[in-house]
Amino acid sequence: MRHLTERELLEYQFKLASVPRMRKAAEHLGKCGQCRENLERLIQKFAALDLLREEIIVSDDLVARVVGQAQGGVGNLTLKKRLLRSARNDKWRWIGAAAVLVVGLSLLLVSNLPKEREEKPEFAKEPPSLLSHPSRRGLAETEESRVAADMKLDKSAETIRAEGLSKNAAVMKPLASALLKEEAAGRDLEVSGIGGIAGGVIEEGVIPEQPPFAPASAIELVTLPRRENVQLTIYNSADLTLVRERRNLTLKKGWNWLQFMWANTLIDPTSLVLEPLEQKDKVDIQQLVFPARLRELGRWLIRSEISGQVPFEITYFTSGLSWRAFYMGTLAKDEKTMRLEGYVRVDNGSGEDYENAQTRVIVGQVHLLDQIAELAKRQYPYGAPVRMGDYGGYGGGGYKYGEEGGKHYVRLGDMDGVSQVADALTGLERKEIKKEGLSEYFLYTIEGTETIPDKWGKRLLSFEVNDIEVKSLYKYDEERWGTETIRFVAFTNDEKHNLGQTPIPNGDVKIYSQADDLGYLSYVGGTSIKYIPVNEEVELNLGAARLVNVEPKLMDFKTENYVFDTKNNVAGWDEVRTWKIEVTNTRTLPIEVEITRGLDTAYWELKLDGRDISYQKYDVTHARFKLSLEPRSKRIFEYAIRTYHGQREQALTEQNIKSER
Amino acid sequence: MDNTDRSLIDAHCQGDGTAFTEIVRRYGQGVFGYLMRMSGSREQAEDLFQETFKRVHEKAHTFRGIQFKSWLFTIATRVAIDNLRRRRRLRLVSLSQTVDCADGTCEQLNTIATTKGCYGPSEEAAMAEQKEQVRQAIGSLPARQRAALVLAYYQQLTYREVAELLGCSIGSVKTQMSRALRTLAQRLPDISEEVK
Repeated sequence: MRHLTERELLEYQFKLASVPRMRKAAEHLGKCGQCRENLERLIQKFAALDLLREEIIVSDDLVARVVGQAQGGVGNLTLKKRLLRSARNDKWRWIGAAAVLVVGLSLLLVSNLPKEREEKPEFAKEPPSLLSHPSRRGLAETEESRVAADMKLDKSAETIRAEGLSKNAAVMKPLASALLKEEAAGRDLEVSGIGGIAGGVIEEGVIPEQPPFAPASAIELVTLPRRENVQLTIYNSADLTLVRERRNLTLKKGWNWLQFMWANTLIDPTSLVLEPLEQKDKVDIQQLVFPARLRELGRWLIRSEISGQVPFEITYFTSGLSWRAFYMGTLAKDEKTMRLEGYVRVDNGSGEDYENAQTRVIVGQVHLLDQIAELAKRQYPYGAPVRMGDYGGYGGGGYKYGEEGGKHYVRLGDMDGVSQVADALTGLERKEIKKEGLSEYFLYTIEGTETIPDKWGKRLLSFEVNDIEVKSLYKYDEERWGTETIRFVAFTNDEKHNLGQTPIPNGDVKIYSQADDLGYLSYVGGTSIKYIPVNEEVELNLGAARLVNVEPKLMDFKTENYVFDTKNNVAGWDEVRTWKIEVTNTRTLPIEVEITRGLDTAYWELKLDGRDISYQKYDVTHARFKLSLEPRSKRIFEYAIRTYHGQREQALTEQNIKSER
Repeated sequence: MDNTDRSLIDAHCQGDGTAFTEIVRRYGQGVFGYLMRMSGSREQAEDLFQETFKRVHEKAHTFRGIQFKSWLFTIATRVAIDNLRRRRRLRLVSLSQTVDCADGTCEQLNTIATTKGCYGPSEEAAMAEQKEQVRQAIGSLPARQRAALVLAYYQQLTYREVAELLGCSIGSVKTQMSRALRTLAQRLPDISEEVK
């Protein structure tokens, strides 16, 4: 009997062997005392490994160091350096950590955070927010700052305070050191005015050449100037909305920092533009800075030669807002006219509430260089592939954007048209619509303003037109729809049909018919339409018709007129098929039916046997029949189709040439 | 994956500093133990620990996996193996030398390891010596064998999990493990029943 080797015993004990080998080893061990003894010895030997199994405790100091290091507060020592400096640095580390804690604690005590800031976190939650932040030099609270209703800490400051000092020593450090430096310089501490934006110390009538430094700190004191008004221009062919909002900002003479935050929204930070609407010659926007380490905020540096309130317009792109058109048509009982209502539904998933926004919608294909949603999700706006004119540098700021200028960024083409919009569901009086044709596309603006909160959708009545003359048409084409007859409603977008003022944008259509005199409706069918230009006819496909039936039957087939070549092989022939078409209308209305027949060849002749029935050559291989049917009636007609093959095709061609002569 | 892990990672990626602290606290113990056994030195383990979580901090946004713990230990393993290779190249530290003991590291390790039981001075000395022999035996293993052993034996991961962490097949892990065990069988001390 072969004994198990040490390797086999180890593989058995540590379950490294395959199942059959494990089973075999187990069987052997069951029978072999010596191998069991060897295994026991190995187990005892490997029990030594358990000497190192005790739990190894990671110290809080190490955890704190790791967190501090990761957050950038503590530099990483290389292994070599650490080995060289290991023990003797410990006491300095502790002293340093203690110093940071003391400074951080002092800062919080000195800054004397007022309680009302804790009680009003809702102010800081409005994204995107435009914040002007007072100078950090001012820590002594003035009367003005106490009464300021909308001065508050931003979210980061609250978070830091909630978490306590011990976890945030690294975050507090820059602020603390800045404070100490300024105190050491012997400057008086003061608070900038309410709504005033941080500025340097201004001597009488003189603005310093250098702007004040705005450290990339997450802790800021801010004011929140509210929106005066906002305008949304929503495109439906791309996830793109242009937002233009106006806010009144209070500037101090000198340098001002203005902070814009867009946390939890989908705006594209690379598209941010700030423009003064008044005092343009005295207010200069110098640059837009995206501070390192701080997410989802940008700071404009503004040089102002005046003190006071200045209206600004902020423009940016956002994604998440969309609109789409849909229609409801109601056929009259005789199905000769239709009432058509057009709606626009605006959906807001942008993460931002737009209150009292002037809303404009645009139809058309917009070519984007970048998807706005993707831009919005980036951690930092730097390095975006989009460059805007000569001002494109981030931090260079001040780049211009207008609707015309937007072509630097967005190429507009193949624009479709749109018409009017008014509010219906809110129960308000119908609004007038201002319609504009902008170069290649139409833009329409909802009168007044709409409030569209985040995650809400809103349906607006676009137009309502009565008595549009329509044709009810039934079509049969086996190549397109099989053996089913398809129902269509056709009308033209022109003045004769009470339409034609504007093109009709893409959208879904639902058609109803009046079921009785009481006005109850029954659903007829639905489809989607593409853009309908003015004076274009549109046919709405309402699906298969159950009450109109078309049944073609092949009644006869023969071949004739054979042609032979010099070797007596068949070189050409004719095929003659006789078809009987039976059309049944079980509706109580007269109808028009259009039957298209495919012939599989371009060489054919058709003879029709039926009164009041006509056909036309639809294309080279198709013939189309049109006929009318009375209510609850049936019509039958026959036609013979002769197709030419081989050399007979040539005969038909010659025959046609002769007949033309 | 634990939902809380995912939410912590997401929060960290969105700039929440407390999320990263929580991650370190949650997994620090296991990672540090692993790195201690891989490096054999508390000082080095601390360095590797910092390096591991530094990489986690920087690369968190690239985490797409299901098991955060596996991802974390993969990073720790890479850091540890890189360190072992670098150390061999630079000859800064060797487990077979007593460099660590010179700066008191061995003492620390012994203190850590001797956390239970009350022994007399002679037993403690014997146990400390045996622990050092075990550490040296493990330290003599090639990096991948050591990683396989520590992950499977001390971290109690399955061979499949170890394979995922090391980026190799289960068969390869078993081969490494088998070789490591055969080496250890020659080098582990015979511990007495009293000490056990």
